[in-house]
Amino acid sequence: MTTSTPSPATTAPGRVAGGSLGGAFNGSVFTRTLWDNRRSLLVWAVAAGLLALVYASFYPQVSADSMANVPEAMRGFGFEDTSTAAGYLRGAVFGLLVPLLVTFYGAATGARTISTDEESGYLDLLLAHPISRTRLLLHRYAALAAGAILIAAAVFAAMLAVRNSADLDSIAVSGFAAQTLNVALLGLLFGAVATGIGAAFGRSRGAVFGSTAGLGVLAYALHGLAPQIGAEWLRYLTPYHYYIDHQPLINGVNGGDIAVLASCATVAVAAGVWRLNQRDLRR
Amino acid sequence: MAAAIELIDLTKMYGARRGLAGLSMTVRVGEVFGFLGPNGAGKTTTIRLLLDLIRPTSGTVRVLGRAARRDAIEVHRRVGYLPGDFAVDGRQRAGECLAFLAALRGGVPADRIRELADRFDLDLRARIKSLSKGNRQKVGLVQAFMHDPELLILDEPTSGLDPLVQQTFLDLVGEAKRAGRTVFMSSHIMSEVEAVADRVAIVRDGRLVALDTVADLRDRSFLRVAIGFAGPAPAAEFAALPGVTDLAVDGSTMSFRLDSSPDSVVKAAARHTVTSLRTETQDLEDLFHTFYTGGGDTAAADR
Ligand SMILES: Nc1ncnc2c1ncn2[C@@H]1O[C@H](COP(=O)(O)OP(=O)(O)OP(=O)(O)O)[C@@H](O)[C@H]1O
Ligand SMILES: [Mg+2]
Repeated sequence: MTTSTPSPATTAPGRVAGGSLGGAFNGSVFTRTLWDNRRSLLVWAVAAGLLALVYASFYPQVSADSMANVPEAMRGFGFEDTSTAAGYLRGAVFGLLVPLLVTFYGAATGARTISTDEESGYLDLLLAHPISRTRLLLHRYAALAAGAILIAAAVFAAMLAVRNSADLDSIAVSGFAAQTLNVALLGLLFGAVATGIGAAFGRSRGAVFGSTAGLGVLAYALHGLAPQIGAEWLRYLTPYHYYIDHQPLINGVNGGDIAVLASCATVAVAAGVWRLNQRDLRR
Repeated sequence: MAAAIELIDLTKMYGARRGLAGLSMTVRVGEVFGFLGPNGAGKTTTIRLLLDLIRPTSGTVRVLGRAARRDAIEVHRRVGYLPGDFAVDGRQRAGECLAFLAALRGGVPADRIRELADRFDLDLRARIKSLSKGNRQKVGLVQAFMHDPELLILDEPTSGLDPLVQQTFLDLVGEAKRAGRTVFMSSHIMSEVEAVADRVAIVRDGRLVALDTVADLRDRSFLRVAIGFAGPAPAAEFAALPGVTDLAVDGSTMSFRLDSSPDSVVKAAARHTVTSLRTETQDLEDLFHTFYTGGGDTAAADR
């Protein structure tokens, strides 16, 4: 812990347990969490990067086929325009695969913030140490955020890698940056929702993951179907609106969207912190 | 003497379920304190209240002179805790896990961790999830003792340990006591704490039913007396004598429990023809069971 001073009972500083016992990442809960989750985090990042890479590189074939008409039902999901690079990427890559993947990343990792350890009983031990509930949660969430940024960076790198070979150079690098920034924010938001639910209600890891992922899929469907049921305004209630509707690939960063996504995440985390400090830990 | 733990009229309800019902007691600095009771008595509830993992419905919890909740961080710094169901991240190695927990406390000498691991014969390189239950419990004990805390709060520390390791644990408790530390440990079994505990509290149904030194608890033991008479057993006469309870008659034989001096019983028996006389002393374990099951309800709770 960076801030905790040694207890009166511990001996001279400098004789601190560290690397010799295999704890190179014990500097903080943040680094420890990242290190403990290194394998699954790597899988998420590689999967997101590869999926983006593979689907983006299909673009030359798809545009050459001049694409049969997209079914009317798919209109709201962003598949209507495959004639331009931005339109194609907005459909398959940034409209479906990447956002759902990062939504599930947030739900799965957010369920680990509090719920997994509360279920196993490890949280009892951790919180009997000189670290506040708030601090533990924020460190864990910061590790989740770092993971979301890593995943977004993998997608960004994948896009840059195929930008020329897949005829995607009509999109500026800054456009990719803006869209992948929103990818990270989407992961941060669903991570915050799962963290908040777990911290507030003390449910099992499965329940927290399930409810968050369910919310995500529901919001995704709502975002896609809203135009067809003549209720465009419903889109504003879903995070996917702020994530993609202003076409960051073309228009670049949208400060308003970033603000909405970031403040929703902040509210979810803050509510979780508040409730966690009030309630009993389960066992 | 200062109090290491002070509980005042502590009540904890889980919804409508009773966890603790008005528990008051004091653990003194420097003593080894055994906290006993049957399943569901409220031992774990009490311990989790001490560590601010759950909050009381009413009453006061003070640990090392501090409020358990308001001063939680300070209390946690000065306390070593072993949970009843010890669990850590199974993906970590034992040494890694201990080093991390040590880092949360601002560091512990690596030699101290190694020394404790050696004494428990614990392999620090093993992955936690590959460890047996007992070996995992050793990790729990090492982390509780490693920073040499002023107060050790141990929930069923010996569960899952073989007799050899139990002895190592008792040695550590003895060393902690000699170093002036306080040890508060829960258990189901009197004989387990008898050897090390200065005082013992027994809880049942969320209430304190006994709190005494092991020696004084032993003094509270009673006699079981059975007398055979030549004629019909004079039950009424004996039932009225001081200290006689639980009186039962079986033909010409009468048995009862005797809590006071046997003088009046001997004198009463002398007026009859006695054909047999048998007495049995209760040992501590028996006495404990009467507390367990609801027999000895006169708590010396004020000490
Ligand atoms: N989270 C909870 N929700 C509801 N009831 C609970 C909860 N935790 C404990 N209880 C109840 O409180 C009572 C005391 O439980 P506690 O775990 O403190 O007992 P214990 O003395 O530690 O028992 P054991 O020896 O089995 O460990 C029990 O009746 C138990 O069912
Ligand atoms: Mg218990």
